[in-house]
Amino acid sequence: MTDSTQHTIRMYTPPDSVDTVHDLLEDVWTDAPSIPAGDRLRFETALIELASNVIRHADGGSGVTCTLMIETFPDRIEATLSDSGEPGNVQLAEREMPDDLSESGRGIPLIQALVDELSYDRDGSLNRWHIMRKFED
Amino acid sequence: MEFTVIDRGADVAIIQPSGRLNMVSAGRLREVIAEVVAGGRTRIAVDLAGVDFIDSSGLGALISGLKTARQAGGDLRIAAPTDQVKLVLQLTNMERVLTAFDSAETAFSND
Repeated sequence: MTDSTQHTIRMYTPPDSVDTVHDLLEDVWTDAPSIPAGDRLRFETALIELASNVIRHADGGSGVTCTLMIETFPDRIEATLSDSGEPGNVQLAEREMPDDLSESGRGIPLIQALVDELSYDRDGSLNRWHIMRKFED
Repeated sequence: MEFTVIDRGADVAIIQPSGRLNMVSAGRLREVIAEVVAGGRTRIAVDLAGVDFIDSSGLGALISGLKTARQAGGDLRIAAPTDQVKLVLQLTNMERVLTAFDSAETAFSND
Protein backbone atom coordinates (compact mmCIF):
# COMPACT_ATOMS: atom_id res chain seq x y z
CA MET A 1 0.00 0.00 0.00
CA THR A 2 1.02 3.56 -0.53
CA ASP A 3 3.56 5.40 1.59
CA SER A 4 2.44 8.36 3.60
CA THR A 5 2.85 11.68 1.81
CA GLN A 6 2.21 15.33 2.65
CA HIS A 7 1.79 18.24 0.24
CA THR A 8 1.15 21.83 1.29
CA ILE A 9 0.56 24.98 -0.74
CA ARG A 10 -0.36 28.53 0.07
CA MET A 11 -2.90 29.94 -2.36
CA TYR A 12 -3.80 33.51 -3.22
CA THR A 13 -6.99 33.90 -5.19
CA PRO A 14 -6.94 35.50 -7.64
CA PRO A 15 -4.83 34.55 -9.60
CA ASP A 16 -4.84 31.11 -7.99
CA SER A 17 -8.07 29.19 -8.43
CA VAL A 18 -9.46 25.69 -8.09
CA ASP A 19 -7.23 24.82 -11.06
CA THR A 20 -4.29 25.28 -8.65
CA VAL A 21 -5.87 22.57 -6.47
CA HIS A 22 -6.22 20.23 -9.47
CA ASP A 23 -2.50 20.77 -10.20
CA LEU A 24 -1.50 19.95 -6.60
CA LEU A 25 -3.58 16.77 -6.71
CA GLU A 26 -1.68 15.71 -9.85
CA ASP A 27 1.50 15.83 -7.74
CA VAL A 28 -0.19 13.82 -4.96
CA TRP A 29 -1.30 11.08 -7.38
CA THR A 30 2.22 10.93 -8.83
CA ASP A 31 3.80 10.57 -5.37
CA ALA A 32 1.20 8.08 -4.07
CA PRO A 33 0.58 5.90 -7.15
CA SER A 34 -1.18 3.04 -5.36
CA ILE A 35 -4.28 5.06 -4.40
CA PRO A 36 -7.18 3.43 -6.30
CA ALA A 37 -8.65 5.35 -9.25
CA GLY A 38 -12.14 5.43 -7.73
CA ASP A 39 -10.84 7.02 -4.55
CA ARG A 40 -8.88 9.62 -6.50
CA LEU A 41 -11.97 10.57 -8.50
CA ARG A 42 -14.15 10.92 -5.40
CA PHE A 43 -11.61 12.75 -3.26
CA GLU A 44 -10.72 15.19 -6.06
CA THR A 45 -14.40 15.96 -6.61
CA ALA A 46 -14.93 16.59 -2.88
CA LEU A 47 -11.82 18.75 -2.49
CA ILE A 48 -12.64 20.92 -5.52
CA GLU A 49 -16.15 21.47 -4.12
CA LEU A 50 -14.67 22.46 -0.76
CA ALA A 51 -12.09 24.81 -2.29
CA SER A 52 -14.78 26.41 -4.50
CA ASN A 53 -16.90 26.98 -1.43
CA VAL A 54 -14.05 28.66 0.44
CA ILE A 55 -13.03 30.82 -2.52
CA ARG A 56 -16.65 31.88 -3.16
CA HIS A 57 -17.71 32.60 0.40
CA ALA A 58 -14.55 33.84 2.10
CA ASP A 59 -13.84 36.48 -0.54
CA GLY A 60 -14.95 39.86 0.75
CA GLY A 61 -13.73 41.54 -2.44
CA SER A 62 -10.00 41.60 -1.77
CA GLY A 63 -9.24 38.00 -2.62
CA VAL A 64 -8.62 35.01 -0.36
CA THR A 65 -5.43 33.64 1.12
CA CYS A 66 -5.59 30.02 2.17
CA THR A 67 -3.35 27.11 3.00
CA LEU A 68 -4.10 23.64 1.71
CA MET A 69 -2.49 20.51 3.11
CA ILE A 70 -3.15 17.09 1.59
CA GLU A 71 -1.96 14.00 3.47
CA THR A 72 -2.06 10.40 2.34
CA PHE A 73 -1.85 7.37 4.63
CA PRO A 74 -1.94 3.65 3.88
CA ASP A 75 -5.70 3.52 4.46
CA ARG A 76 -7.00 7.04 3.80
CA ILE A 77 -6.48 10.52 2.35
CA GLU A 78 -7.15 13.80 4.17
CA ALA A 79 -7.13 17.49 3.31
CA THR A 80 -7.14 20.54 5.56
CA LEU A 81 -7.97 23.95 4.12
CA SER A 82 -7.44 27.04 6.28
CA ASP A 83 -8.46 30.54 5.28
CA SER A 84 -8.49 33.93 6.94
CA GLY A 85 -11.93 34.94 5.70
CA GLU A 86 -14.97 35.82 7.75
CA PRO A 87 -16.24 33.06 10.05
CA GLY A 88 -18.08 30.49 7.99
CA ASN A 89 -21.82 30.34 8.47
CA VAL A 90 -22.34 26.82 7.27
CA GLN A 91 -24.79 24.15 8.29
CA LEU A 92 -23.02 20.81 8.05
CA ALA A 93 -25.76 18.60 9.44
CA GLU A 94 -26.65 16.01 6.81
CA ARG A 95 -27.77 18.22 3.96
CA GLU A 96 -30.19 17.25 1.25
CA MET A 97 -29.98 18.04 -2.44
CA PRO A 98 -31.98 21.13 -3.49
CA ASP A 99 -34.86 21.12 -5.99
CA ASP A 100 -34.10 19.62 -9.39
CA LEU A 101 -33.92 22.95 -11.20
CA SER A 102 -32.00 24.83 -8.51
CA GLU A 103 -28.67 26.09 -9.87
CA SER A 104 -26.83 26.01 -6.53
CA GLY A 105 -26.83 24.31 -3.13
CA ARG A 106 -25.38 20.94 -4.16
CA GLY A 107 -21.77 21.51 -3.05
CA ILE A 108 -21.96 20.53 0.63
CA PRO A 109 -24.29 17.52 0.18
CA LEU A 110 -22.09 16.34 -2.70
CA ILE A 111 -19.00 16.52 -0.46
CA GLN A 112 -20.86 14.56 2.21
CA ALA A 113 -21.67 11.84 -0.33
CA LEU A 114 -18.00 11.56 -1.35
CA VAL A 115 -16.02 11.52 1.91
CA ASP A 116 -16.24 9.82 5.30
CA GLU A 117 -15.67 13.01 7.29
CA LEU A 118 -16.34 16.70 6.68
CA SER A 119 -15.76 19.15 9.49
CA TYR A 120 -15.40 22.89 10.05
CA ASP A 121 -14.03 24.80 13.00
CA ARG A 122 -12.91 28.30 13.78
CA ASP A 123 -9.30 28.35 15.02
CA GLY A 124 -8.41 31.85 16.27
CA SER A 125 -8.83 34.03 13.18
CA LEU A 126 -8.81 31.08 10.76
CA ASN A 127 -11.57 28.99 9.26
CA ARG A 128 -10.41 25.39 9.11
CA TRP A 129 -12.06 22.80 6.91
CA HIS A 130 -11.17 19.12 6.98
CA ILE A 131 -12.17 16.17 4.82
CA MET A 132 -11.15 12.52 5.02
CA ARG A 133 -11.86 9.55 2.78
CA LYS A 134 -11.05 5.93 3.63
CA PHE A 135 -9.88 3.86 0.68
CA GLU A 136 -12.13 1.19 -0.71
CA ASP A 137 -10.77 -2.31 -0.24
CA MET B 1 -11.78 25.46 -21.12
CA GLU B 2 -12.73 25.81 -24.78
CA PHE B 3 -16.14 25.55 -26.39
CA THR B 4 -16.91 24.44 -29.92
CA VAL B 5 -20.42 25.11 -31.28
CA ILE B 6 -21.67 23.08 -34.26
CA ASP B 7 -25.00 23.88 -35.97
CA ARG B 8 -27.27 20.99 -36.98
CA GLY B 9 -30.45 21.40 -39.01
CA ALA B 10 -32.72 24.38 -38.38
CA ASP B 11 -32.66 24.71 -34.61
CA VAL B 12 -30.18 22.26 -33.05
CA ALA B 13 -26.72 23.21 -31.81
CA ILE B 14 -24.10 20.85 -30.43
CA ILE B 15 -21.87 22.48 -27.82
CA GLN B 16 -18.60 20.69 -27.07
CA PRO B 17 -16.77 21.95 -23.99
CA SER B 18 -13.31 20.53 -23.35
CA GLY B 19 -11.39 20.42 -20.08
CA ARG B 20 -12.71 21.08 -16.57
CA LEU B 21 -16.20 22.42 -16.04
CA ASN B 22 -15.72 24.09 -12.65
CA MET B 23 -16.23 27.54 -11.08
CA VAL B 24 -13.57 28.95 -13.40
CA SER B 25 -15.38 27.94 -16.61
CA ALA B 26 -19.05 27.54 -15.60
CA GLY B 27 -19.94 31.19 -16.21
CA ARG B 28 -18.61 30.99 -19.76
CA LEU B 29 -20.74 27.91 -20.50
CA ARG B 30 -23.85 29.78 -19.31
CA GLU B 31 -22.97 32.64 -21.68
CA VAL B 32 -22.32 30.34 -24.63
CA ILE B 33 -25.67 28.57 -24.18
CA ALA B 34 -27.52 31.88 -23.76
CA GLU B 35 -25.91 33.24 -26.95
CA VAL B 36 -26.77 30.13 -28.97
CA VAL B 37 -30.41 30.13 -27.76
CA ALA B 38 -30.72 33.88 -28.42
CA GLY B 39 -29.48 33.18 -31.93
CA GLY B 40 -32.46 30.91 -32.55
CA ARG B 41 -31.06 27.45 -31.84
CA THR B 42 -33.17 26.34 -28.91
CA ARG B 43 -32.40 22.61 -28.95
CA ILE B 44 -28.97 22.23 -27.36
CA ALA B 45 -26.96 19.02 -27.16
CA VAL B 46 -23.99 19.37 -24.82
CA ASP B 47 -21.33 16.85 -25.78
CA LEU B 48 -19.48 16.02 -22.55
CA ALA B 49 -16.97 13.56 -24.04
CA GLY B 50 -14.17 16.12 -23.62
CA VAL B 51 -15.11 17.15 -20.06
CA ASP B 52 -12.87 15.24 -17.68
CA PHE B 53 -14.16 16.97 -14.54
CA ILE B 54 -17.37 18.66 -13.43
CA ASP B 55 -18.38 20.13 -10.08
CA SER B 56 -21.60 21.63 -8.74
CA SER B 57 -20.82 24.96 -10.46
CA GLY B 58 -20.62 23.18 -13.80
CA LEU B 59 -23.82 21.32 -13.01
CA GLY B 60 -25.46 24.66 -12.16
CA ALA B 61 -24.43 26.00 -15.59
CA LEU B 62 -26.05 22.99 -17.32
CA ILE B 63 -29.28 23.50 -15.33
CA SER B 64 -29.23 27.21 -16.16
CA GLY B 65 -28.85 26.26 -19.83
CA LEU B 66 -31.71 23.76 -19.56
CA LYS B 67 -34.00 26.47 -18.21
CA THR B 68 -32.85 28.99 -20.84
CA ALA B 69 -33.53 26.51 -23.65
CA ARG B 70 -36.93 25.45 -22.28
CA GLN B 71 -38.04 29.06 -21.80
CA ALA B 72 -37.33 29.55 -25.51
CA GLY B 73 -39.44 26.51 -26.39
CA GLY B 74 -36.52 24.11 -26.78
CA ASP B 75 -34.57 21.74 -24.58
CA LEU B 76 -31.05 20.88 -23.43
CA ARG B 77 -29.69 17.35 -23.46
CA ILE B 78 -26.32 15.95 -22.51
CA ALA B 79 -24.31 13.24 -24.20
CA ALA B 80 -21.28 11.01 -23.65
CA PRO B 81 -20.48 11.80 -20.00
CA THR B 82 -17.14 10.53 -18.66
CA ASP B 83 -16.94 8.47 -15.44
CA GLN B 84 -16.44 11.47 -13.15
CA VAL B 85 -19.39 13.32 -14.72
CA LYS B 86 -21.59 10.22 -14.36
CA LEU B 87 -20.62 9.97 -10.68
CA VAL B 88 -21.56 13.60 -9.99
CA LEU B 89 -24.88 13.26 -11.86
CA GLN B 90 -25.68 10.13 -9.87
CA LEU B 91 -24.76 11.52 -6.43
CA THR B 92 -26.71 14.74 -7.00
CA ASN B 93 -29.81 12.85 -8.28
CA MET B 94 -29.59 14.78 -11.53
CA GLU B 95 -29.68 11.76 -13.84
CA ARG B 96 -33.45 12.08 -14.17
CA VAL B 97 -33.25 15.78 -15.07
CA LEU B 98 -30.19 15.59 -17.31
CA THR B 99 -30.59 12.24 -19.03
CA ALA B 100 -27.43 11.28 -20.87
CA PHE B 101 -27.55 10.24 -24.52
CA ASP B 102 -24.82 8.10 -26.06
CA SER B 103 -23.96 10.69 -28.67
CA ALA B 104 -24.70 14.39 -29.17
CA GLU B 105 -25.51 13.67 -32.82
CA THR B 106 -28.45 11.45 -31.81
CA ALA B 107 -29.70 13.43 -28.79
CA PHE B 108 -32.51 15.00 -30.84
CA SER B 109 -32.70 12.57 -33.74
CA ASN B 110 -35.79 10.72 -32.52
CA ASP B 111 -37.98 13.73 -31.79
